[in-house]
Amino acid sequence: MADVSFQKVRKAFGSAVAVKSLDLAIGSGEFVSLLGPSGCGKTTTLRMLAGLEFPTEGEIRIGDRVVNAVPPGQRDIAMVFQSYALYPHMSVGENIAYPLKKRGVGRAERDAKVASVAATLQLGALLDRKPRQLSGGQQQRVALGRALVRDPKVFLLDEPLSNLDAKLRAHMRAELIELHRKLGKTFIYVTHDQLEAMTMSDRIAVMHEGDLQQFGAPMQVYEKPANLFVAGFIGSPAMNLLPGMIESSGSGLAFVRQGLRLAVGAGGQAGQKVTIGVRPEDIALGSGPFVATVRIVEPTGHETIVMADIGGQSAIVRVQPDTAHVVGSETPFAVRTSRLHAFDSVTGARLDLAFAPPAS
Amino acid sequence: MKTLAGRIAFNLFAWTVVLVTAFPLIWMILTSVKPQFELFRIPPTFWPEQITFEHYVRLIYETPFLKYMRNSLILGFTTTIVVVVVATLGAHSLVRFRYPGRERLAQMVLFTYLLPSVVLILPLYLMMVWLGIANTIFSLVIAYTTFALPYALWLLRSFMQGIPDDLEAAALVDGATRMEAFVDVILPQALPGIISTSLFTFILAWNEYLYALVLVNTDEARPLTTGVMSMLVSAFNIEWSLLMAASVMMSLPLIIIFAFLQKYLTRGFGAGGVKG
Amino acid sequence: MSGNPLDKRYAVLGAMLIAPTVLIFCAVIVYPLVSALYLSLFTIFTPTLRGSFIGLGNYAYLVNSPEFWRSLWNTLLWTVCTLTLQIVFGVAAALMLHQNIVFRSLARSLILFPYFVSTVVAVLVWRWLFNDLYGVMNHLMLMAGLIKMPLDWLGSMPNAMISIILVGAWKYFPFVVIAVLARLQTIPDALYEAAKIDGAGAWSRFVDITLPQLRDVLVVVVLLRAIWDFKEFDLIYLLTGGGPIIATQTLPLMVYKDAFGLNDMGRASAVAVSMMLVMLSFMVLYLKLAGRGERESQP
Ligand SMILES: Nc1ncnc2c1ncn2[C@@H]1O[C@H](COP(=O)(O)OP(=O)(O)O)[C@@H](O)[C@H]1O
Ligand SMILES: [Mg+2]
Repeated sequence: MADVSFQKVRKAFGSAVAVKSLDLAIGSGEFVSLLGPSGCGKTTTLRMLAGLEFPTEGEIRIGDRVVNAVPPGQRDIAMVFQSYALYPHMSVGENIAYPLKKRGVGRAERDAKVASVAATLQLGALLDRKPRQLSGGQQQRVALGRALVRDPKVFLLDEPLSNLDAKLRAHMRAELIELHRKLGKTFIYVTHDQLEAMTMSDRIAVMHEGDLQQFGAPMQVYEKPANLFVAGFIGSPAMNLLPGMIESSGSGLAFVRQGLRLAVGAGGQAGQKVTIGVRPEDIALGSGPFVATVRIVEPTGHETIVMADIGGQSAIVRVQPDTAHVVGSETPFAVRTSRLHAFDSVTGARLDLAFAPPAS
Repeated sequence: MKTLAGRIAFNLFAWTVVLVTAFPLIWMILTSVKPQFELFRIPPTFWPEQITFEHYVRLIYETPFLKYMRNSLILGFTTTIVVVVVATLGAHSLVRFRYPGRERLAQMVLFTYLLPSVVLILPLYLMMVWLGIANTIFSLVIAYTTFALPYALWLLRSFMQGIPDDLEAAALVDGATRMEAFVDVILPQALPGIISTSLFTFILAWNEYLYALVLVNTDEARPLTTGVMSMLVSAFNIEWSLLMAASVMMSLPLIIIFAFLQKYLTRGFGAGGVKG
Repeated sequence: MSGNPLDKRYAVLGAMLIAPTVLIFCAVIVYPLVSALYLSLFTIFTPTLRGSFIGLGNYAYLVNSPEFWRSLWNTLLWTVCTLTLQIVFGVAAALMLHQNIVFRSLARSLILFPYFVSTVVAVLVWRWLFNDLYGVMNHLMLMAGLIKMPLDWLGSMPNAMISIILVGAWKYFPFVVIAVLARLQTIPDALYEAAKIDGAGAWSRFVDITLPQLRDVLVVVVLLRAIWDFKEFDLIYLLTGGGPIIATQTLPLMVYKDAFGLNDMGRASAVAVSMMLVMLSFMVLYLKLAGRGERESQP
């Protein structure tokens, strides 16, 4: 059953459209990430769900209730803000207790719940401090505590880890996964960091310029990107996108661009403008029918990233650290055709093209 | 200012400038504790040969000074309370609510903040006469809102813009209504700004002269500014020591604010005094 | 505005919170402002408040009145001179107080005090300092040999104009100090460090770094102070009363005199309205600037 759903939700600020006709249904207990570059409308989407912004058009449901006109406090949600938004004049304990107080929970019960949440988040010793006396990581946990204490139906998190340093971020990532597993509640998690989205989510909603691009499980988004944007956005280093053209070749068809010619087994038609996508790990340097020029070699230790020029366009290739490549040299290469992606260059949509393995 | 000598020279210079600037005020205090006859020495004495507080005693027991002071205090506090309460609500509305005409309104506040009193004063005078409240402290409270309210609104608006939106949002998500969020979260955060604004408003009201001159013509309602000036005008021969004592007494609230609440003044200037 | 009921409820609440402000504004600002325009079309005898409609008669009178033009000239002269002094002394004092001097915060308080003190107090003190027989000013100038006879500071020209300009500068330059100091504190030290490394001397650091950084705040300060100096009443009225005769009478003083000295409220209103028209250009310019600053400061 869908726990949260957006139906044709649109949000405009004056003439600027932040979210264009969003349709999204999120299942009960799911961990869903809203992923996309900065300014793509993630926060706006989350704030509409929280009741802090009002959709210009469309319906938002939590459970089976349309919540468009329900005040935030009655939506059975809790939210962790990117800025944490801790109340500076209240102690940690008072911060965590505030949502309970506003719901008329009695003193004794409040204290008990705050104590239990504080224990879970290891905040017990800090309850009397003011937020400004805490480190960034501790503040983050207080913000989390304020959300947890109420036991809401849905948790909304807006880039909660983006203000932490890398090490703490990795640690908190693991803790959030653990928390979600333990609580079994719906989590909606906004991030621009694809690593976070990939590692934590059940499903990822990729957004771009106010549009939902793809909604699917991490591996699905990674292996079957729905369009050029998703293809270029998911994966690090990014997928290589090489524009070219389908031409007829003898009896069949072939994808052709400068420095590359791949036989197409099925799908496509001659004259169609197509962009192929190939992940850095799916190019094999050293042998093969094509030739690339090595431009930059970046050893990272466990692997080496090579920037190579393929027919006038630079491409990124992942190679084993023990292989030596000389900058400026020409090297033969092959592509793993079974793992190629193809997109319509004009619409950006994914195409069902099958590439024939290279004739050897 | 690398050398020690250079540094000392600069300090001496700077402090000379400061003391020259402050000299009139120092002179005011010195004159107020000199016996009357000492004022007429040529050349004048700098330090009083004899310190006396007789002028202060006379001021309190033989002139209507205390009455003026009482009027000024009532006027200052009433104006401040009315203006700050109204402006706090108004500023909150201008900063955190969306409704048609809001931007225009903010612009109008700024415009009225620049408006000269003399344009408003004649119609206000007629209005007070018509309402039958001319010559009362209340009429001055009303008149003072014309400059104090735009000023306070502008200052508070700029303070409140400094409070992150997320704080109110968090309170709403946590179950507060908008008014509860205002009381629980915005007000405590705005408190330093409210204190600053109150101080500035009080000082404005305390120092105002023109409206008091035009609207009030009786000692019963006259505040210190016009009251003390009337002592100057009505005296047969001007008793400067007495007037200087009155000036010192009149500046007392400012001295107190400067001594104990200066951080609020500085903050107020950062927020609105300069930005406009 | 979306049709969301909750959004509407919030808008109503917002309107309710601003309602007291709007009501007060209408009663004590908008109504009097309109009323001033209206009054300026009448001739009204102040003691009885009786009057008759004379259309633009008051304005026609003013255009041909040498007193009006003299007052306008006085207003401009006073504004330009006192403002210039305020800016020059204000910037200089701010630069000085920005340095590390001993007891800096006390020095700052002393410099700021004239701005906060009541004009009445300032005027009383200065009238005592300007006293022709026992005043310190005359004494010091005689001692220094600058003058041979005690001066009449406030009762003769051009002394009276110079005196009000000086006292105005003294009273209001701290505003410039506060504004400039606040800005100076936000100029990153790194800029100066870099210039030093590039071999810039103290003067060229001031001209190339400090002044450009101060430009915006100075524009705002000049406009604000110009508006406030232009409408100054208390200080001039209390120091010279506009005298000798009308030699230091500015427009606000003329309004007061016409209304309560010559008992013609209608003409006084016409002077006030004319004065506001002159100020309007400054005010509009300032509003534009403030509006721009506002948009820039919002993310
Ligand atoms: N209150 C607002 N007023 C006007 N535009 C806004 C407002 N909030 C967001 N936007 C615009 O909407 C777009 C989406 O913003 P946001 O949802 O914050 O993006 P994200 O969180 O994905 O970075 C941006 O272009 C932003 O400038
Ligand atoms: Mg965001």
